Amino acid sequence: MLRKLIRDTKDSEQANINFNSTQAKIFHLKERSFKMLQNDLILRNPLRLMGYKAEEILTPGGFGAVLARAGVGKTSFLVQLSLNSLLKNKNVLHISLNDPVNKVNLWYREVLSRIADQYNIQETSRLLETILPHRFIMTFRVEGFSVPKLEERLSDLTEQNIFSPQMLIIDGFPFDESIYEQLSQLKTLAQKNSLYVWFTMRTHRDEAMRPDGIPTRLIKVADLFEVVIQLQPKGKEIHVKALKGEGADSDHPSLLLDPATMLIKDQTDK
Amino acid sequence: MENKIQKVRNIGISAHIDSGKTTLTERILFYTKRIHTIHDVKGKDGVGATMDSMELEKERGITIASAATFCKWQGHEINIIDTPGHVDFTIEVERSLRVLDGAILVLCSVGGVQSQSITVDQQMKRYKVPCLAFINKCDRSGANPLRVINQLKEKLGHNTVAMQIPVGLEADLTGIVDLVIMKAIYFDGDNGEDVRIEKIPDNLINEALEKREELIDAASMFSDELMEAALEDQVTEELLISAVRSGTLARELTPVFMGSAYKNKGIQPLLDAVTNLLPCPSDVENEALDMEDNEKSVILSNSPDDDLVAFAFKLEDGQYGQLTYIRVYQGTLAKGMTMVNVRNGKKFKVGRVARMHADQMEDIDKIDAGYIGALFGIECASGDTFASPGMSLTMTSMFVPEPVISLAIAPKDNKSQINMSKALGRFTKEDPTFRTHVSDETNETIIEGMGELHLEVYVERMLREYSAEVSTGKPRVAYRETITKNAQFNYTHKKQTGGAGQFGRVAGYIEPVAEEEFVFENKITGGSIPTQFISACEKGFKQSLAKGPKMGFPVTGVKIVINDGASHAVDSSEMAFQAAARGAFKEGYAKAGPVIHEPIMKVVAETPTEFQGAVMGSLNQRRGMIVGAQDEGPMCSIEARIPLSEMFGYSTVLRSLTQGKAQFTMEFNTYKQVPQQIMEELVEKAKEEKKNVA
Repeated sequence: MLRKLIRDTKDSEQANINFNSTQAKIFHLKERSFKMLQNDLILRNPLRLMGYKAEEILTPGGFGAVLARAGVGKTSFLVQLSLNSLLKNKNVLHISLNDPVNKVNLWYREVLSRIADQYNIQETSRLLETILPHRFIMTFRVEGFSVPKLEERLSDLTEQNIFSPQMLIIDGFPFDESIYEQLSQLKTLAQKNSLYVWFTMRTHRDEAMRPDGIPTRLIKVADLFEVVIQLQPKGKEIHVKALKGEGADSDHPSLLLDPATMLIKDQTDK
Repeated sequence: MENKIQKVRNIGISAHIDSGKTTLTERILFYTKRIHTIHDVKGKDGVGATMDSMELEKERGITIASAATFCKWQGHEINIIDTPGHVDFTIEVERSLRVLDGAILVLCSVGGVQSQSITVDQQMKRYKVPCLAFINKCDRSGANPLRVINQLKEKLGHNTVAMQIPVGLEADLTGIVDLVIMKAIYFDGDNGEDVRIEKIPDNLINEALEKREELIDAASMFSDELMEAALEDQVTEELLISAVRSGTLARELTPVFMGSAYKNKGIQPLLDAVTNLLPCPSDVENEALDMEDNEKSVILSNSPDDDLVAFAFKLEDGQYGQLTYIRVYQGTLAKGMTMVNVRNGKKFKVGRVARMHADQMEDIDKIDAGYIGALFGIECASGDTFASPGMSLTMTSMFVPEPVISLAIAPKDNKSQINMSKALGRFTKEDPTFRTHVSDETNETIIEGMGELHLEVYVERMLREYSAEVSTGKPRVAYRETITKNAQFNYTHKKQTGGAGQFGRVAGYIEPVAEEEFVFENKITGGSIPTQFISACEKGFKQSLAKGPKMGFPVTGVKIVINDGASHAVDSSEMAFQAAARGAFKEGYAKAGPVIHEPIMKVVAETPTEFQGAVMGSLNQRRGMIVGAQDEGPMCSIEARIPLSEMFGYSTVLRSLTQGKAQFTMEFNTYKQVPQQIMEELVEKAKEEKKNVA
């Protein structure tokens, strides 16, 4: 089923490329192969592998969350989502409340080079060059982060035409008791600017969960989220499971993260 | 002797601009009784800090050249190299770090880890210099040493541990609590010279106990003995210090000290730490390369009784002639002995040997292994190695970046002309990142360096030290040319107009190559070009690289393969094939999609948050790509990649945008292709200039 889906989408993407190539008068082979490489990578994005058609599972203004315990691979997962959007020339604003700019930058380099290793891609540096203009990293200290402040920064960027994000990644947002207000403000901001927003949420070993796996402290704000994905280490593997949103109830085989690379294990070739 | 060397410390003091390292050095010299009065960097008395010996440094309040100085503390001999803080002068920092055994990383308790601290830290990593951190300016409003300790962890990845906590902060800073001896230390007297040790104030006891626990935890990772003692609650001062020392020497632990150099607080404990925690020369393994054995690395012995190996790390043209700062790694350098400059094999006799104290000096008889000293009247370049006759060891070569900016200079009169060439000769010897040449086209003298300020300082030094008055042109960026695709060439050079004829045909292809300047490959079979002319072909191609056919910039990243050709029994010669190769290059190059590359700088601007938008806008306008913005409380830093050509005069723009509250640093990042529109502008400009010259 999954393989079929991928094959179908691959065909349609291929058709797109062919269509483009007939329209443009000159299409260098080198350029085409690079474009194909980009498309190929897009096809391998974790959400698509999960059975979602694309990251558009979120409607504009929609929230998605990736849940996991510390060190399981939340940031890496989100960076993969972000890379996928970047490859489609969509602007991503990556906000980190834990790490400095350099470290976030390093995450991207690392994940991209691991993907490159996995799929035997040579042109990593060129790939990075093409996506960098679409990425903006902003870091805040947890205590210094607030929605009005973010809004101010965003308008700094958009008004001067420096950067207009389409997707927002918020890594390290403290999901505690008092966040409802902040999240609803963020929701308004996201809806106003038609942003897709992805969060990481750190869970704890002995945390109280609802039967569907969503932590009880998220109950109050659960309505704000359209998609919730959990990364769950089991033995030597990390399972990726949709708790909310499309695919949550399906009998879709659960995806695995490779703990060594934190990338989705490519099972399509099996 | 072994005992003696263990009491030697060669240390550097590195930091961001304005973190107060010169002030700190000044205080160290005062407490070690090398100087008897304290002068501030921008002091009202007009004397200036002792280490800032150059006129210009005093005027600007910055330290340009690293002056070496010597002092004694508790029976230990300490050599201090005061290092510059500006990125433009990093070669100085790198050279100093090369000869240091340990360093103090000075941080501002308000500014914390700033962009330059990151650069300096990377350099320390490169040369594996163990360091301890000193958080200065704890008396300033907004001081927060704990935040800086966290930044050291987060931004620089240091495993930091506080060795002290402050007693009071900002204007109330009165002293520090030493977590090893668990006592409060106060600094009395006009200049803080009287150290008073008392019990810890009641309100700080809990915090001190908690921090001491953290210290013991961190240190016990480096000593099983301490771990056991900690479990039995019998930690002694010696055990704790020796464990922290082990961690520091392995560069796995960074002990953090704090105080305020300006207010004379916390300097004496820092000096104790230098003697207790930083390595002596014999703790550090130094390597040299054996020139006669295929550059095999040799570990130096550090023993004063072995053959001499010494390294000239800095030259200065002082009132007594050329002064060469030198570090002896092995053997003893004594007055009257003969030694060899390994680079050129020149032998010479050692004349005066001195120990430097900023710009004053003290004559000595010899420099033992592990020490830093200075020699007079020795003709050498910085980076040269001196050894006993018969030895061919050379210290590892230093990493020298390529210059990114150039400036045309012209002397105002005849006298200046002579002085200018003297000055240039000296500067290029002193600083490998500063270069000079005469342009073939315009006949102008061109100086090249690492940034606008770098060149500016040399122009000013020419005037002050050599009274050479020069006028400068506009700074120019070091553009480069390269190709983007494969192209064939097949060129015949034929000349039969009287005299000996010339004939040569060269065919093959040219293609781009990454990370190499030039690759030449000979794939000729069947002798269509006779073997004796192949090197002439290579030479011809190489000649063409110096000036690209497109815009006249140097060409890099080119691979040339020749696979066919023709020769003539009588008319072919080396000259003919060189000319043929030059013609072939032109032919192939034009078809190979030539482009211009420009240097892209990594720019980090630090600004109060309220100006963030304006600063980002100003960076963005300069064809910049902003990588990210980092919010750090009242300040934020913005990192961007910007073409160097757009950065001229940016400091003025930034100052006026932010009421002078922001600063930026810039260093070379990479070369990138110039956008089409800019390239066209460059071509236009080049044409115009050619016309003007004609």
